[in-house]
Amino acid sequence: MLYLEDIRTFYGEIEALKGLTLEARKGEVTCVLGPNGAGKTTTMFTIAGILKPRTGTLFLEDENLTHVSAQSRVRKGIALVPENRLIFPQMTIAENLDTGALSRPLKDAGIQEDILKMYERFPRLHERKEQMAGTLSGGEQQMLAIARALMAKPKILLMDEPSLGLAPLIVKEIFNIIRQLNEEGVTILLVEQNAKMALTVADHVYLIEQGKVTFNGNPSEIHQDEVIRRAYLGSEVS
Amino acid sequence: MITDFVQNCIDGIMVGSGYSLLALGFTLVFGVLKRLNLSYGPSIMLGAYVGTWSFLNIADNIWLVLLTTICATVVIGIYVEQLCFRAVSKETTIASMVSSFAIWMQLEEIALHLLPERTYPFPAFFDSGLLEFGPFTARSEYLFMFVVMLLLLLILHAFIYRTRIGLAIRAYSDHPSASAYMGIDGSSVLFLAFIIVSIIGGIAGFLILSADSQITPFFGLWATFKGLIAMMLGGIGSLSGAVLGGLILGVIEANAFWYGDPVIRDISSFMLLFTMLIIRPGGIFGHKIEIHQKIASERV
Repeated sequence: MLYLEDIRTFYGEIEALKGLTLEARKGEVTCVLGPNGAGKTTTMFTIAGILKPRTGTLFLEDENLTHVSAQSRVRKGIALVPENRLIFPQMTIAENLDTGALSRPLKDAGIQEDILKMYERFPRLHERKEQMAGTLSGGEQQMLAIARALMAKPKILLMDEPSLGLAPLIVKEIFNIIRQLNEEGVTILLVEQNAKMALTVADHVYLIEQGKVTFNGNPSEIHQDEVIRRAYLGSEVS
Repeated sequence: MITDFVQNCIDGIMVGSGYSLLALGFTLVFGVLKRLNLSYGPSIMLGAYVGTWSFLNIADNIWLVLLTTICATVVIGIYVEQLCFRAVSKETTIASMVSSFAIWMQLEEIALHLLPERTYPFPAFFDSGLLEFGPFTARSEYLFMFVVMLLLLLILHAFIYRTRIGLAIRAYSDHPSASAYMGIDGSSVLFLAFIIVSIIGGIAGFLILSADSQITPFFGLWATFKGLIAMMLGGIGSLSGAVLGGLILGVIEANAFWYGDPVIRDISSFMLLFTMLIIRPGGIFGHKIEIHQKIASERV
């Protein structure tokens, strides 16, 4: 589905991704874990086209998107739910959803139908659809950010720290949504610091440190590896 | 006495519709860029100079003057956008404002080289006539400008709030980074905003100058003052505010002129601005916009 090979991304002269190779398979939740500064968000920005890698290639379903702009990548099927949600605070919820569909053709008859589907999936957004998005709670804003990204009808959904700054109950709700989306066939690439929750939804896990992949396997392998388990899940998890 | 006052108000609204047209352009650029374009008035002036030049050197055709004024204003608008707002990065607000001031000086120089004499005739759109409504009168060219202004307000409002391009412009204005994640090309949004604003500016310049029948290089300064004051009165970032601000400014000036003298007229507009800045710094509708922004950003 999505394949990154030997990606090297820089901030000026600082090398943030040092030859990153990663694959997200169709219909799966691929999770990228790592400490602060490991390069998780840089990975997301590189895939979304916000940052340009100096070397390496990026393929989505056999199409080379390495030199394709961020705008075109959204049209090609890569949608990002950014860290800290980044909704449009002064626009209504309905308008925020409309912006998600801007990458779709004007004559796409399914847009209105998809908006109704989003309201069915997130009833709280429907209740507040004419409300300014900035007035929503953190959890509701996260739901809106997910719904907005889904309005682009993506082939792959990139989710950058969806649990960041949310109360534990809301985090649980957000991960239930991720699980549901995946059950409906949405391919997800998830970046998370909350490793415990991330492993409950992940089919495949990558650990990255200092811009390099240091582990690549399924969640059960993480549980079996004493060093990784202690580093990411804490000693109480057996 | 009351008849005089009402007549002054009618005159003020008619003249003020020109100020409203100028303020629409200023407020739209500020709403999208969150930066002030000081070279907007001089851009309109130079565009109108090209229109006058075509009138003097190519053909005595009012439609040609209208077309060349609008096209030249658009070309100058693109030049300003490329040099002043695209080249100077988003973070350096002061630098782009200062560079727009430098372009102002440059555009005035170009106008003086294009047509070196102080004053030139600007053709009237149609023969001036006085329309009577009972005891009151209105000049036909100003009434036409008022109608065009209202039409432009409606079209602009529908464009910004009812179209996909308008949605993209508002999304970019609300959160430029987030709009990039939605596949919105910020550079195209800026480019388009400048073209729209320049078309409005071209129409404004043409209508105001064809009502006055003359053009001088000071028109750029005049347009900047009137447009900025009207925008500040109505409230920065509000289309309806820009229109209302222009009309109020026109009414105050007309009454100041009637009950005082021409000097009082200009002083009154500055006094009005200072009073508004003290009592209601955000302008008439700007206060509502400020509260809106504050509420929207509280939980983000």
